[in-house]
Amino acid sequence: MKKRGFGYGCIFYGTGYGNGFPDISRSIAELDTKGHINIYVGATEVGQGAKTILGQIAAEALDVPVEIVTLIHEDTSITPDAGTAAASRQTYNTGNAVKISAEELKKEIIVVAKGLLNEDHLEISNGVIRSNTSDKTLTLKDIAEASGGGFLRKDGIFQANTTEMDPETGQGNPYWPYTINAYAVEVEVDTTTGIVDIIRAACSQDVGRAINPSLVEGQIDGGFAMGLGYAIFEDINLDKGRIKHNRFTNYLIPTALDMPEIEKIIVEDPESTGPFGAKGIGEPVMIAAAPAILNAIYDAVGVRLTEIPVTPEKLLKALKKREG
Amino acid sequence: MKTINVKINGENYTREINEDMRLLDFIRDELKLYGTKEGCGEGECGACTVIMDGVTVNSCMVMAFQANNKEILTIEGMEDEKGLHPIQQAFLDEGAVQCGFCIPGMVLSAKALLDKNPKPSRKEIKEGISGNLCRCTGYNKIVDSIEKASQYLEGEDQ
Ligand code: FES
Ligand code: FES
Repeated sequence: MKKRGFGYGCIFYGTGYGNGFPDISRSIAELDTKGHINIYVGATEVGQGAKTILGQIAAEALDVPVEIVTLIHEDTSITPDAGTAAASRQTYNTGNAVKISAEELKKEIIVVAKGLLNEDHLEISNGVIRSNTSDKTLTLKDIAEASGGGFLRKDGIFQANTTEMDPETGQGNPYWPYTINAYAVEVEVDTTTGIVDIIRAACSQDVGRAINPSLVEGQIDGGFAMGLGYAIFEDINLDKGRIKHNRFTNYLIPTALDMPEIEKIIVEDPESTGPFGAKGIGEPVMIAAAPAILNAIYDAVGVRLTEIPVTPEKLLKALKKREG
Repeated sequence: MKTINVKINGENYTREINEDMRLLDFIRDELKLYGTKEGCGEGECGACTVIMDGVTVNSCMVMAFQANNKEILTIEGMEDEKGLHPIQQAFLDEGAVQCGFCIPGMVLSAKALLDKNPKPSRKEIKEGISGNLCRCTGYNKIVDSIEKASQYLEGEDQ
């Protein structure tokens, strides 16, 4: 028989290394001789979109077109350390470092421009330096040339503000910032085979501010797929410290056919310490999926499973046991 | 040693190869076409997908000599003088690429599907790429891109 059920899962999640561990990102913003912006960061792009987002943050902070920003990363001989691509920390931590370096570079550009134009009230707008009191303008290339053909470079450094929690009082600031989400799923359980099918899902994710909504959606889809695998497929089958399911024939991950459509609700509640209000969501989008799926299975067939993955064999066993 | 003739991305190659060489290694190591990826090496992940005489194969499961007198398309052959293939463009436009490791295989599976079935349903698209595993994207934006590619290709035909 096929039975349907709904389940929900909600989490709050502390991003970054946490507990006072030095969580530092560094960035260098540079105006090169062509009048283009280069951002140097040791952040690693693993598909999560750091490269895209960090360039956007720099462009926004400087008020220049994103097309003239080049992100130079992953080369430790020329980039400063931006910490690991882990702990959902690159958008927030390295984003802040990039923003600081870009703001510092902007100040420097304005200083050079003031000298050239003999004017006091200048700003950069869409890549052009403009005077607020006259119609004089300068290009970024003019600034690059005026600074002796050399490069203008500015550092940015950001450290997340966390402290260890006092075990006695429970006081402290173990993570910063936190992010919150909720998943809803509908499943269909085949009580003859034990197979669980996800019919549809919805995710609402607090992102602080979505710097790139399309990437946020991609992270939600990917996170749900990982959570789905975690909930019902992926079993490394450890035996005396050895992984027995070490190939895709027995370590199953979701395929396109296993994935439902996901309704994505991006909740924007700007984080005051984040770059333009943003915070990281890489891990959070995965975590709530498994509890939501297990809750939906409970709703569908009335058995409460507490061990993952809920493979068809385990589910059938639990159903049998209940019938007793 | 064995001599094989293969046409890859429109070009003819004649090479002496060891009989135990896989097609995947022929493509990567002999021809230096590194777009084709090796994920599992045992026919489960689809990262090594290429199109051979119109059908997708896992190039890790095909011996190079089996490609003798065959025509093969790898990801490098998708682009032409006009630029990216519409399927590749659709992947970019939809933001379907994350780490990218599965993408050459996905694009070729999409091509094989759309060649046979120019207007697939979402279900058919999912079936068409079900042999290609992706750890990053959760597939939804890939399915969106293949739908979009189908529209782009339809527009081109008109
Ligand atoms: S590498 Fe060929 S299927 Fe995985
Ligand atoms: S994009 Fe990373 S495996 Fe598919």
